[in-house]
Amino acid sequence: MTIEAINEQLLRAIGVGVALLDRQTFQFSFSNDTFDEWFSSESQPGQLQQLFPDLDVNEMQNGLADSGRYTSEIRFKRKRRTLVIALDFTAANEGVLVLVCQNITRIKELESMIDSYSMMVERNTREIKREKEQVEKLLLNIMPRSVYEEYKTFGVVTPQLYDPVSVLMLDFVGFTEMVASQDPSVTVTELNDIYSAFDRIGEQFGCERIKTIGDAYITVAGLPDPTPDHAKAVANTAIRFVRYLTRRNLSHPHQWQCRIGLSSGPVVGSVVGIQKYVYDIFGPAVNLATRLQEFSDPMEISVQHEVADVLKDQFDLEKIGSRTIRGFGAREVWQLSDRN
Amino acid sequence: MTERTLYEKYGGFSKVSKIVLSFYTTLLDSDEIGPFFDDVDMSRIVDHQTKFIATLLGGPASYTDKQLRHLHSHLEISHAHFDELETVLRRTLLEHGMAADDVDVVATEFGNRRPLIVG
Repeated sequence: MTIEAINEQLLRAIGVGVALLDRQTFQFSFSNDTFDEWFSSESQPGQLQQLFPDLDVNEMQNGLADSGRYTSEIRFKRKRRTLVIALDFTAANEGVLVLVCQNITRIKELESMIDSYSMMVERNTREIKREKEQVEKLLLNIMPRSVYEEYKTFGVVTPQLYDPVSVLMLDFVGFTEMVASQDPSVTVTELNDIYSAFDRIGEQFGCERIKTIGDAYITVAGLPDPTPDHAKAVANTAIRFVRYLTRRNLSHPHQWQCRIGLSSGPVVGSVVGIQKYVYDIFGPAVNLATRLQEFSDPMEISVQHEVADVLKDQFDLEKIGSRTIRGFGAREVWQLSDRN
Repeated sequence: MTERTLYEKYGGFSKVSKIVLSFYTTLLDSDEIGPFFDDVDMSRIVDHQTKFIATLLGGPASYTDKQLRHLHSHLEISHAHFDELETVLRRTLLEHGMAADDVDVVATEFGNRRPLIVG
């Protein structure tokens, strides 16, 4: 077999479609087997535009004039499967145009699949992100952000001493009787409203609500970031709590009366529990606020001596006298009133 | 820990993509089911097949029942068509090296959706 014959055999048999055209008339002068199999069912292919009516001939002429090359893509169906063929025209010498065609169907199908897949993955990623934000929001409700960051980074939270902070302890008068005598779901719904209002009020003055236990509400100032005004913050918050309840009682059948205790001192804050996380604070300031609260008459605020000292210039305080406080001995107790 | 899905077990997208393409080719070649795709754009068919296989294998897509019903509501799909698709599906999965009992699990998942598709 001669080299020419081998060349021709190869050219005919390769999986790439090859054809030669006249540069001027776009009349086909040669096409190999692969080309014929794709494009011309009958006899010899005649003319370019007849074979590819969708081809933009002007565009092609421009491309050939500029760079001597032009590429395009055509799609057609072969037994309902869409075939995509890449066309590559090259101007050769002597007014001959070489057309090389490659089957890129598989590539196009893969592209479609990757599109489809990446869309699914992106949607899932968005959903996961949303869920993560939900979880974060929930965790931020039970612990301060800085503690949450520590928990996220290290998986544990080291108990931390905050000194000094001010603690506000609030408890409702006759809550147990109220739950027993009223529809409990109504009581709890109202309690929820009140706590939500307390949260908003506390936030305004830089207090961080630590927890509620039934009808007891504890919020603290000076934690996690220290503030010099922690005593003022709880005093302002306490006054607003009483004001809020007084106003609320005017328009609601259920009367909510509270007792409040304020104290300052060191506390330790930490996440407690492994499965059921609770962020909690411990320390003398918490206990003292609880005891002081018990001394209060309804809608009154009892204040530790040291706190009263700090607040005296700006708030209306009255000395109640010395009281024996369980665990603390004899202590001076003051009462904070709303000046307005 | 959460259970590993078949999608993960059989190599995630890189492997499943081959199953999808082979499934796609077989489907179009089938004279029973192929005609349903006569006038459908290639990228749409590929998109559906990708989601279809991913859904059955527990991958990232999940067609809801409502979507499935809606997507097939304009087609007249008979039980014979559905059976044929199951045959093609089983064959494709086996060809790609999926264990027979896993193929059964997928076929059951597929069968569960019959009432949404046929009719």
